[in-house]
Amino acid sequence: MIKIRDLEKIYRTEEVETVALNKISIDVKEGEFVAIMGPSGCGKSTLLNILGLLDDPDNGSFLFNNIEVAHFNERKRADLRKHNIGFVFQSFNLIDELTVFENVELPLIYTGVKAGDRKKRVEEVLDKMQIMHRRNHYPQQLSGGQQQRVAVARAVVNNPKLILADEPTGNLDSSNGNEVMTLLTDLNEQGTTIIMVTHSEHDARYSHRIIRMLDGQTVLENIMV
Amino acid sequence: MFKNYFKTAWRSIIRNKAFSLINITGLSIGIAASLLLFIVVQYEMSYDRFQPNYDRIYRVVTQDKFDKDITYNSGVPVAALKALRTDLPNIQFGALKSIYGSQVTVPSAGNATGNKFILKSGIFFIEPEIFNIFHYDWLVGGADALKDPNNIVLDERTATTYFGNWQQAMGKTMVLDNAITLKVSGILKNVPANTDLPLSVLVSYETLKQYGSAYNHADNWNTTSSNFNVFALLSPAAKAADIDKALLQFSKRHYDVMQTNSVKRNFLQPLGTIHFDRRFETLGDHVTSKTTLLTLSLIGLFIILMACVNFINLSTALSVNRSREVGIRKVLGSNRSQLFAQIMSETAVIVCLSVILAMGIAWIVLPYIKHIASIKEPLTLFTPKTMGMMLAMGLVVILLAGLYPSFVLSKFNPITALKNKMVSASVRGVSLRRGLVVMQFTISQVLIIATAVAVSQMNFISKADLGVNKEGVLVLSSNGDSLIQSKQMAFKQQLLQVPGVQSVSFNSDAPSSDNTWSSNFAYNHQPDEKFQVTLKFADADYIKTFGVHLIAGQAAAECDTSREAMVNETLLKKLGIKNANDAIGKEIRMGRNKWLPIVGVMQDFKTNSLREEIKPLMITSNKSFQFLTAIKLRTHQLPHTREAIQKIWAQFYPDYAFAPSFFDEDIAKFYQQEEQLSLLYKIFAGLAIFISCLGLYGLVSFMAVQKTKEVGIRKVLGASVASLLKLFSKEFTILIIISFFIAVPVAWYMMHTWLNNFVYRISLSGWFFIVAITGSILIAWITVGYKAIRASLANPVKALRSE
Ligand SMILES: Nc1ncnc2c1ncn2[C@@H]1O[C@H](COP(=O)(O)OP(=O)(O)OP(=O)(O)O)[C@@H](O)[C@H]1O
Ligand SMILES: [Mg+2]
Repeated sequence: MIKIRDLEKIYRTEEVETVALNKISIDVKEGEFVAIMGPSGCGKSTLLNILGLLDDPDNGSFLFNNIEVAHFNERKRADLRKHNIGFVFQSFNLIDELTVFENVELPLIYTGVKAGDRKKRVEEVLDKMQIMHRRNHYPQQLSGGQQQRVAVARAVVNNPKLILADEPTGNLDSSNGNEVMTLLTDLNEQGTTIIMVTHSEHDARYSHRIIRMLDGQTVLENIMV
Repeated sequence: MFKNYFKTAWRSIIRNKAFSLINITGLSIGIAASLLLFIVVQYEMSYDRFQPNYDRIYRVVTQDKFDKDITYNSGVPVAALKALRTDLPNIQFGALKSIYGSQVTVPSAGNATGNKFILKSGIFFIEPEIFNIFHYDWLVGGADALKDPNNIVLDERTATTYFGNWQQAMGKTMVLDNAITLKVSGILKNVPANTDLPLSVLVSYETLKQYGSAYNHADNWNTTSSNFNVFALLSPAAKAADIDKALLQFSKRHYDVMQTNSVKRNFLQPLGTIHFDRRFETLGDHVTSKTTLLTLSLIGLFIILMACVNFINLSTALSVNRSREVGIRKVLGSNRSQLFAQIMSETAVIVCLSVILAMGIAWIVLPYIKHIASIKEPLTLFTPKTMGMMLAMGLVVILLAGLYPSFVLSKFNPITALKNKMVSASVRGVSLRRGLVVMQFTISQVLIIATAVAVSQMNFISKADLGVNKEGVLVLSSNGDSLIQSKQMAFKQQLLQVPGVQSVSFNSDAPSSDNTWSSNFAYNHQPDEKFQVTLKFADADYIKTFGVHLIAGQAAAECDTSREAMVNETLLKKLGIKNANDAIGKEIRMGRNKWLPIVGVMQDFKTNSLREEIKPLMITSNKSFQFLTAIKLRTHQLPHTREAIQKIWAQFYPDYAFAPSFFDEDIAKFYQQEEQLSLLYKIFAGLAIFISCLGLYGLVSFMAVQKTKEVGIRKVLGASVASLLKLFSKEFTILIIISFFIAVPVAWYMMHTWLNNFVYRISLSGWFFIVAITGSILIAWITVGYKAIRASLANPVKALRSE
């Protein structure tokens, strides 16, 4: 599903040049659950942003479902993104002005799903995430764990093939964190590919494979049994 | 999709209550103000446009070129009418003569002497041909009603006033100036108020032919009265330029043979310019210069621009807080154009709300504005034109206010937008905001300077020393006939018996008036001078009654016809006479009249409105022109004195209505239009300044939120409240100073030009500019101060924790 080769990302500011990704090569197969770990500043988020088509690399190749996307323009990336990829962030990133229901509904609006179908889909996922009773609440009225469940619901509502999660449990206590990890595992078992950045060895154990990074490169890959 | 846009739009308006309130207040006031100005301007522009032949109607006017100056007259000599018809047979001509202050007596059941009405706004002796040129609707009759002598036509309103209802009026008789019996032969539908030809009482022109001498209407080439107007209807194929050429030949043929000291030319004045050309007298109630309309339109444009600037400033500032939302939406697959549409629709929601509010404001304020702008038309907001304007304005504002913020926000990079909130403090956003603030302050300072200058000039004029005494002089007018004149002496004796009356004078004109009666003249048996002399006729007590000062000689003796003359200093100056005493005993004559000895020289007083220079003046007595009675009153017991005067008037002149006015009030009327304009300027300039303060307040509030943390840190480090205030106001103060330097030349040029309209004017002193800069800095500081003090007084620990 994902095949990147010699990918480079360099941040240039006036004084310094930061090599965030240094000729990194990774493969992810469909249906895999991959965890990315590494010390702060090693380039995990940068990698995830590129994988999620939020950012473009400076060099190298990125095949997404066998299509070269490394140099797609913003419009094409947005198009590919909204049909194929869901995101979960450490800080939830829900829109404060919208209710739970409306937040989850948003990706469906952007992909042009009809209103009637949208309602059905949203209710389905909210049910699955056990947050249905909070459908008309606003994000501030929810606990962190509930907010993250909404964020996961929003990420999966479009049935994406790939979910990218950047420290999804970073802001949660362990019981809420475990709940989210169970959700992700369930999704993976139903066939969704998941790539997750985490600092927690405990969470990483939910995955099939751990990619360890240092200074913009992969240093180690352990396969979980 | 749109439902979703509007939902988020609505919620974000609610969430940012303060900013939305500022935006909606500013926009609605701005839109309402512009709309009202639009209504005023478009009303002035609409004058006589309801005439179907609007583009083909012209007035034949006269230009008099003297050695040094040129005068313009809206009329032509009476004899020219016939000549025009003979010489230019392909053109439809129609003539009318307006007379002001006449009296009509209407028979009344309850009143044996009949009801009397003074027609201050004029009656028209009018040819039926006028109705081939102008189109009017008739209730009864038509142009033919004015074919025969002694016929009168009334409009519906006047007929109702005189006879109770207009149906009753037909066929009734009434008496004009106690001499001419007229029969009502037609009823005209009320003429719209937006006309310079306010026809309401029309008498057939044939009647005037019989009573010409009573109304100074002589069929000759010598005198040109601005009250005698000839209108022309050109055929669709005719070109005005060709007719003007023909009129030049016409003028040469008819005027150059006369030996005068000026070159007289006729030319066409298009109907479309009559309402705007101040060179000519108007038959309507006012002339508006295009500059005034342009100024008002500009103010309207400025106000709406300022409101848009506020919107842009606040939205781009706020976008910092919204970057996260934009980031999330992008991550979820929204593309730029969708985001753009979303933010535009938010703008649209705010603008629509403002438009609705603006309608409400305009609806409430319109009656006042109508009053100030003296618009008589029953104007309403809900005409297709104003509605269209509203719609157009709404759209333009949506684009103007929404485009830039939408552009900026939708461009955000999602990763950076999600990472932190401080995205749009990007250099470009800030410098644009500064630029817009500078623009706002420039506009407000120009407006402050302009308003201050206009108001001071108006004060200057209303308080200006005319050189005569203008207080406490009551003026009674009557259209004189021999009867009035024969009773004058006895009338005066009776008046002087009233304790409150100090002196009484019969005259043709007050010292300062809009009279334009002038004549060519000769001095000391020389040939005619190259300039004209203004004429006033008055008895000996004129000097005493109006407090005119004599610098040499004495008042001219009182007599029925002219025997002695007084002149003013300006006349001597123009003649090159240095010593006033040298003129005493010399002779002067007007036109081809008798030579009169000069017996007195008057110290200069303002002979006309202060827009014009003092004119060379000659005063002599001639009973047949002295229709005005000026009464100098003692200041105590005014109402009592007035009552006594009215009684005496009724006793002497039962056939004449008592219509007194005070001299100073008559003078104030000269400047009524300026007075109204300066009020309009004051109101709308005030609004513009208010809107720019509103924007400033919004920006500062935003700054205060942004700087909460900085202020907290600084306070922990020991900063004083004063130093924090400085932190807030420094930038704005600099921006104000920059805008001041842009505003000064603009305002100077504008007001310099405006003041040039007045001969007597204030000088553009530095004070106006100092007031503007200190005023705007003060306003800004007050605006900034409140927010800044609140921010700096906040508990620093809280401020730090909240981030
Ligand atoms: N916009 C940027 N401009 C400049 N440098 C950047 C930018 N974003 C990231 N970097 C740099 O690139 C490197 C990789 O950053 P990245 O955010 O990918 O790290 P990370 O592995 O996600 O760290 P963390 O675990 O702390 O989230 C860091 O050195 C960071 O300073
Ligand atoms: Mg990271």
